[in-house]
Amino acid sequence: MDEFRSDASPQLLDTIVAPATSSGRSALALVRLDGPAAREIVNTLTMSATLPVRRPVLREISRDGERIDDAVVTFYEAPRSFTGHDMVELSIHGNPLLVELVLRAAVELGARIAEPGEFTERAVLNGKLDLVQAESIHDLIASRTRLQARLSLANLEGSLSAQAGELRERLLFLISRLEAALDFAEEGYEFISRESLEETLRTSVALVQSIRSTYSRGRATREGLSAVILGQPNAGKSSLMNMLCGSDRAIVTDVPGTTRDLLRETIEIGGLPVTVTDTAGLRQSGDTIETIGIDRARRAAADADLVIYLIDSTRGMDAIDRNEVESLESVLLLFTKTDLSPAPPGEMGISVKDGRGIEEFLSVLDRQVSERFAPAEGTPTIVNERQLAAMMGCEEALEGALKASTEGMNEEILTSELYRAANALGNLTGAITRENVLHEIFAKFCIGK
Amino acid sequence: MFHVEHMAQSFDVIVVGGGHAGAEAARVVARGGLRVALVTMIREAVGRMSCNPAIGGLAKGHLVKEIDALGGLMGEAADAAGIQFKVLNRSKGPAVHGPRAQCDRELYAAAVLGFMEAEPGITIVEESVSSILHSDSRVNGVVLGDGTRLAASAVIITTGTFLRAIMHSGETKTSGGRFGEPSAETLSDALAGFGLKLGRLKTGTPPRIERDSVDFSRMEEAPGDAEPRPFSILTTSICLPQVLCHLTYTSETTHELIRQNLHRAPMYSGQIESTGPRYCPSIEDKVVRFADKERHQIFVEPEGLNTTWLYLNGISTSLPSDVQEGVVRSLPGMEQARIARYGYAVEYDFVNPEQLEATLQVRGVEGLYLAGQINGTSGYEEAAAQGMIAGINALQRIRGEEPLILRRDEGYIGVMIDDLVTLGTEEPYRMFTSRAEHRLLLGCDSVYERLTPVGRRLRILDGERLERAERRIERMYRAGGELDRAGINPDRETLAWLGELEVTLNEPTSIGRLFQRHDLDPRSMLASSGFKARYPDLQAALGDLSSEELDGVLSRTRYSGYIEKQAREAEKLVGDETLSIPPDFSYRRPGLSREVVEKLEYVRPASLGQAARVRGVTPAAISILRIHLKHNGRPGDGRQRSETRAL
Repeated sequence: MDEFRSDASPQLLDTIVAPATSSGRSALALVRLDGPAAREIVNTLTMSATLPVRRPVLREISRDGERIDDAVVTFYEAPRSFTGHDMVELSIHGNPLLVELVLRAAVELGARIAEPGEFTERAVLNGKLDLVQAESIHDLIASRTRLQARLSLANLEGSLSAQAGELRERLLFLISRLEAALDFAEEGYEFISRESLEETLRTSVALVQSIRSTYSRGRATREGLSAVILGQPNAGKSSLMNMLCGSDRAIVTDVPGTTRDLLRETIEIGGLPVTVTDTAGLRQSGDTIETIGIDRARRAAADADLVIYLIDSTRGMDAIDRNEVESLESVLLLFTKTDLSPAPPGEMGISVKDGRGIEEFLSVLDRQVSERFAPAEGTPTIVNERQLAAMMGCEEALEGALKASTEGMNEEILTSELYRAANALGNLTGAITRENVLHEIFAKFCIGK
Repeated sequence: MFHVEHMAQSFDVIVVGGGHAGAEAARVVARGGLRVALVTMIREAVGRMSCNPAIGGLAKGHLVKEIDALGGLMGEAADAAGIQFKVLNRSKGPAVHGPRAQCDRELYAAAVLGFMEAEPGITIVEESVSSILHSDSRVNGVVLGDGTRLAASAVIITTGTFLRAIMHSGETKTSGGRFGEPSAETLSDALAGFGLKLGRLKTGTPPRIERDSVDFSRMEEAPGDAEPRPFSILTTSICLPQVLCHLTYTSETTHELIRQNLHRAPMYSGQIESTGPRYCPSIEDKVVRFADKERHQIFVEPEGLNTTWLYLNGISTSLPSDVQEGVVRSLPGMEQARIARYGYAVEYDFVNPEQLEATLQVRGVEGLYLAGQINGTSGYEEAAAQGMIAGINALQRIRGEEPLILRRDEGYIGVMIDDLVTLGTEEPYRMFTSRAEHRLLLGCDSVYERLTPVGRRLRILDGERLERAERRIERMYRAGGELDRAGINPDRETLAWLGELEVTLNEPTSIGRLFQRHDLDPRSMLASSGFKARYPDLQAALGDLSSEELDGVLSRTRYSGYIEKQAREAEKLVGDETLSIPPDFSYRRPGLSREVVEKLEYVRPASLGQAARVRGVTPAAISILRIHLKHNGRPGDGRQRSETRAL
C-alpha cells in the first residue's frame, strides 16, 4: 500500500475509510472516506468524473463492472469538512454485506480501514475541534439519557471551551502586563495596578471555582448516580426494586450484581442514569455470611449518591432504624405497606401492592435527583477527571498568585504562579506561549527605544 | 601583523567578522588552545558598538553575566569602558535585575581589540571574504577578497548586518552595513550555495547630536548607581569617571511634524519592505501606531568621555535629514542642537536560524557555524553569546569532544538559541526575561553556579576566573547553610530584641525560615546590634559576601518555595528533552498533518521536547511522535497507535 507518497506533490496523509453506522441490518448505512484520495476513490467507484461539493447526489456504486448498490454521495472539500481534509460520505443500504463490499473496494483503491476514533483525531489535529469538543462527541454518542445528550451537545458547541477560553484571555492579559513591567521597566508606564491585578485574580478564582463546582453534576450526568435501598428485613426493599425496574421507566442497562447479596439495575431517574442497589436486610445477626452482607449494604449506602431507607409502616420506626438513619448523611425516608397501615403524618408512604403513593414518591425522587445532580440548562459543565484536574491546578495556582500579590511579591513571582495556572488550563484551551505574551505587549503598548 | 600574500595559510578556525560575536568566538577558540584567524574588513572596527553606547540591560545583562561565567570578554570590556553603571529593575526580585553600563564607545572597541591582540592564538587578517571553501558537505577554508586562500577545518561567520546591506536615510539609499563601511556582497551567494534560505530584516539607528549644542538644564537628569556593580568576576573596581545621562520628551509639535512628512519615510513610502523589530520601533512608527500617546521619552546618552557626540535613545528614524533636524529641535533642550550624524535604517540579509543545529553549526555542512545578527538577532549581547557558543562548539568539534548545548533551564543563552533554531524569527530577535520560562532559576546571582562547572569542563576558563568563581560559589553556599542552621527561639530575651524590630515569633524556627516571612526586612534585622551579638558565625559568613552576593543569598532564601516549584516544573520537562530524535527520522507518519510534517522537516528538532516547541505542532502530534520514537521509529506501524485514539 502506497501510504506515504513523497513525490513532487507530497500527500503525507493516507486515506481512511470506515462505516459510520453500527453493523447490523438497517434501512441505511453510512460509509465515510477521508483523505487526499477520497474523491478519486469515489469517482472510480461511481464511474463518474465529477463530484459536486456539499450537495448530495445519487450514484451507482460498482466494482470491476459489478454493481454493488445505489448510494447518496456527499463530498466535502478540504478544508471545509469535519476533519479538514477531503471527505466523502456514502449513504448505502444498511446491509453488513454491502458495507463490507464497499469497504473492500475502497481499500483496493488505496484507502485503509480507519482505526477507532481516527476521524475525530484528524479533526483535532487539524484544529477543527478542540479536545473538549472531541470528548463531547464521544460522550454524545455514548449518551444514554436525554440530559446526557444535551450536556454533551452544549460542550460540543463549545460552551465549556468558551469559558475556559475566557479564563485564558484573562491570564494572558495579566501575564502580559506583568511581563511588560519586568521587560520594559524604563518605559514610564504603569502597566497594571495591584488593585486591578488582585481584582482580576479574585474574579478569575471565582470563575474557576464555578466551573470546577459543576464537576459533581457533570460526572453524575456522564457516569450516572448510585442509589441504595436500605432497610430492615421484610421492609419491602425487593418489592420496591421490582416496582422501580418494572415501572414504565426504562431499564437502561442490566448491571449484573457483583455479589449475590447486592442486586443492581440501572434506570433513568430525573433524566439521569441511576444504578439502584438492593441490599441485604439490616439486623443483628449471628450468621457470619449475613453479617458480611449487612456490612456491604452499609458501605454501599455510605458511598451512594442517594439512599432510600424503607420502614415497614405496620411496625413503625424503631431504635435500629433510628440508629441507621442517623449514621447516614442524606437519606430519603419511605414508609411501605401503607395499604395495611398508614405512614406517620408528614412522612412519605407507598404501597407496592395497591399502588398508592407511588406516583408521588416517583416525582419526589425525580425532583431530588434533578435538583441535586443535574446540570443547569445551558451551563458549561466539566465531565471528566482530566478537565477537573485542569481546573483544580488552575485554581491552586491562581490562589498562589493572589497570596503572593497580597504579600507584596514582585512580578517575576506572580508570573511564575500565573504561568502555572495557564499551563494547567492549557490542557483544555491550548497553552499561552511566550510569543502570545510579547505580541499582546507590543500590540497594546508603545515600547522601545 | 599578518601580511596578506597569495598563498594558503592554515588555521584551525577562521572567524569572519570582528564584531561582538566574532571577537568572543575568536577568543574562546584561542583560549581552548587552537589557532584562529579573525578576518575583518577594518581592524579598528573590531568590537565597535554600532548602535547605542551601552552594554547589558534587562535580560541582556543576564547574557553578559553568562558570557563572563563561560570566560567571555564582553563583561570585562564593559567594565573597562563603563561610564555609568545601573542595575535596572532593582525594585523587583533579583532574578530580573538587569545590570547595564553606558560605555565609552572608543574605549570599548579598544578594549576588545586589546583582548584580541593579547591572545597569541589569534591572527587578525584585514580583508573581506568572498567565498567559503568546502569539499562535499565539509568546510575547509575561505577565499579572501584579494584571492588568498585560508585553510581551516571550521569557519564561523559573524558578519552582522553586512550581508547585502542597504542604508536608508530619507529618499537616499546607500550600499553599506554601517556608516562608512562597505557591504559584504558575495557572501550571501556563498551561503545560498549551501542551500540556506535567507530572509531580510531591517533595523534603525537614531541621530547623533553635538554635545555642546545641547542645553541639559531643560532635561531631567538620569544618574547611574552610586556604587557601580561590575559585570565581570575579574573586575575589582570601576576606574573611569562616572557621568550622567538625561531624559527629554517628544511633544505634539514633534508628532505633527512627523505626520506631515510620513510619505518621505522609507518605511511608509514602500522603499523598505522588510520587517523591523516591534520592540524598537522608529519614531515614525511610534507616532502612527500609538497616536493617542502624548509624549515619548528619549534618553540622551553620552557616547564617551572625550567624544563630543550624544546618542538619542528612543528616536531611531530614517526620515530625510531636514525632517530629522526639525524633530530633534522640537525636543526640550535641543532647540539649538546640531546633528553630527543623521539616523538611518539598514536592510540586510539574514539566515533563517531554523536551518542551524543548536550548536550553531549549519545543518548538513560540517564545520560551518553562524553567529550573531546573521542569525536574525539584534543586540551586542545576543551576538556575543552566540559567538561564545559557536566558538566553543567549533573548538569541541576539532577536539573531538561533546558539543555544548545549554538547556533552557541552564541559561538565557540556552533559551535564546533554542528559540532561534526552533521557532526561527520574523523580526530581529532580542532577549527578554519573559522569554525564559524558568526565569527564577536564571538570576544573575546564580550564573557562576550554573556555568562555571561548564566552563571548567570545557577547559576555557583562565585560572583566576575559575578561582574567583569557585570562591564566590563556596562563600554563598556557606552563608546559605549558616542561615538554615542558625536557630531562633521565642524566649523572653529574643522576643524583647525582636520587639524592637517589630517582629513577632511564636515558635522555634531558623533564621532562614524567618527571612521567608513577607512582613519582615532581613537587612534591617542583620544590621541590628542584637543580631551581631547572637549570631557571630552567621555574621561572619554573611560578612564575607559582597553586597551583590548578599542580595543573592537573601533572595534565594526568601523565594526558595517559588524557586523549588519552578525547578520541579523544569524537571518535569527533562524527560522529553532527553528523548532524542534521530537526524534522519521520517516524519511522514499517519496522524501527522502535512503542516506539522513540513514544519518538523524544516526545523529538524533534536529532541521531542524541542519538537513540542515548534510552532504549530500540537500536543496530539507530540503524543503520536512519542509513540513512534519509543518504538524504534518504524513508520506506519498502526499497532502502537491505540494510545492516541482515546478521543
